[in-house]
Amino acid sequence: MNAGDPMVYAGAVGLILIGLFTVITRRNLIKIIIGLTLLDGGVNLLLVAVGYIQGRTAPIITPAHPDTARMVDPIPQALVLTAIVIGLGVTALGLGLAIRVYGHYNTLDTRKIRGLKW
Amino acid sequence: MVAALLVALPFLGAFLIPLVGMGSKRIAYSIPAIVLLADLGIALSLLPQALRAPIVVSISGWAPPLSINLYVGPLGLGLAILISLLGFLVAVYGMGYIHAEPKEKYHMLVLTLITGAIGMVLTGDIFNLFVFFEILSLSSYALTGYNRDRTGTEAAVKYLIQGSIGSAFILIGIALLYGALGTLNMADLAARITAGDPMTMFLALSFLLVGFGIEAAISPLNAWLPDAHSSAPSSVSAILSGIAIETGAYAVARIVYTVFPGQGIMFVLAIIGIVTLLMGEMAAFHQHDDVKRMLAYSSIGQMGLIVFAFGMASQAGAFAALFQLVSHTLAKGLLFLAVGYMIYRVGSRRISAFAGLGRRMPMTGTMVAIAVLSLIGVPPFTGFMSKLAVVRAGLMQHSAVYTGMVVLVLVATMIEVGYLLRFLQVLFFAVPETDEVAELPLSAALPIAILAALIIAIGIYPQMITGLLHQAAAGLVERAAYIKSVLGAL
Repeated sequence: MNAGDPMVYAGAVGLILIGLFTVITRRNLIKIIIGLTLLDGGVNLLLVAVGYIQGRTAPIITPAHPDTARMVDPIPQALVLTAIVIGLGVTALGLGLAIRVYGHYNTLDTRKIRGLKW
Repeated sequence: MVAALLVALPFLGAFLIPLVGMGSKRIAYSIPAIVLLADLGIALSLLPQALRAPIVVSISGWAPPLSINLYVGPLGLGLAILISLLGFLVAVYGMGYIHAEPKEKYHMLVLTLITGAIGMVLTGDIFNLFVFFEILSLSSYALTGYNRDRTGTEAAVKYLIQGSIGSAFILIGIALLYGALGTLNMADLAARITAGDPMTMFLALSFLLVGFGIEAAISPLNAWLPDAHSSAPSSVSAILSGIAIETGAYAVARIVYTVFPGQGIMFVLAIIGIVTLLMGEMAAFHQHDDVKRMLAYSSIGQMGLIVFAFGMASQAGAFAALFQLVSHTLAKGLLFLAVGYMIYRVGSRRISAFAGLGRRMPMTGTMVAIAVLSLIGVPPFTGFMSKLAVVRAGLMQHSAVYTGMVVLVLVATMIEVGYLLRFLQVLFFAVPETDEVAELPLSAALPIAILAALIIAIGIYPQMITGLLHQAAAGLVERAAYIKSVLGAL
């Protein structure tokens, strides 16, 4: 199954790690949310890489290209589409909440947002 | 196909609310209660059939593993009944309790949350499990911040950040599983799991456990819970504490029991459960001030107990875990609902403000006392029977380590006795600060009374649900039967 390019896997793992690092070390809410989108992007890349088969094309069956043997696995691509939509929803909600946090505290610095214990 | 309605109805209802709301607001706000009552009816009517043999529903006409399937067995259906019951009661309560606009969005989000929860317990596909989990999570992030106050917004952001990391981990786990085994159907995964490279499988299992562990509030992944559960509106706290974290525990159990065989991880799970239990109860004991925070920490403790029982890797353990899950849902649901109105009446979340309130509101006070005693595990309430089941299952392991852990469970119960009786003492024996306080309106009193009645009824006559729970536990432990009932339909 695993016929993807090692570089793609390295890129995916790299993106995931950069995303996690951003979420953990940054103190600005917007940057934390950017970190989450990086994390999501990395995971999506990993999913696509899992379904990629070297030298094959997009899985679209047309009268001119009815041969499924020359296509990559379509399932991970369907999964990624779903995951992208979910990620979009989470990001939008996160940014909306960040705006409201700014309204309450006049800052996005998590060290200064101290209504609760972080 | 009727079983698919269990998921479809709440989802349809959620999007009907704004449409109906253009005509009549009153009808729109009663949609959640109507839809969830219908769900409860459908689930109960499917029960006899599911107890004979699990109902496997394939969407789109292909047979599993090609299609996404719903697996309506005793476990999934039992949990769906519990979820739609509590959801219905909270929906009735919410009609009177929620005053802040936009009310339509509140009712919509409650229905989508319950769609996610019911979908999670019924689905047979691991990616579908993730999607329903995300529907549940997104709704609960939004509901946590529903009050728009400082703490609610902040708690929602925290919950969102930690929850999204969890979701990403789940997706990584799914990607690893699919890459190694080429399937997403849980029965198919379970059948092929031994063919996978052990290292990859272990990695996938770890990612999935961490991801769902965040939702199940397993220590040390539960930093979001005390804030989210205490800052959300009380009706939402009841759903989060009574439904959301339980589905996280279900997902953990389904993954370790059905998908991944192997005893090693179970023992780790038992230890994590005990640690969670002790940390949660001790943190709750230290909460002298905020009543909802105290209940939230107590939820962490109870989740620890459930995970510990799942970690016994025996049918008796799974049975005890499910029993404890039911009794926690009933008791904590009641407590958050009742305390929510008490907070509303006295205008404060401080425990000291509740002085003598139990005598001012005798009916509500009695219900709270019932739930508190059930949480501690006093007969004749449900909590006693379920804790007894956990202790019995622990001793049936015939191992010194598990016996030691059972002792720790009893120690945790003593801590529970400490802070919960302190709360009852303030409630009933302190000098009242307030004058006359009105009792609850009917829309709040009815759900609370139903929950209290169930706690007493199941406590006195546990056979009412133990038959179902035994079958549910068997469905969890017997992997071969699960695989056969899904893939055997080929």
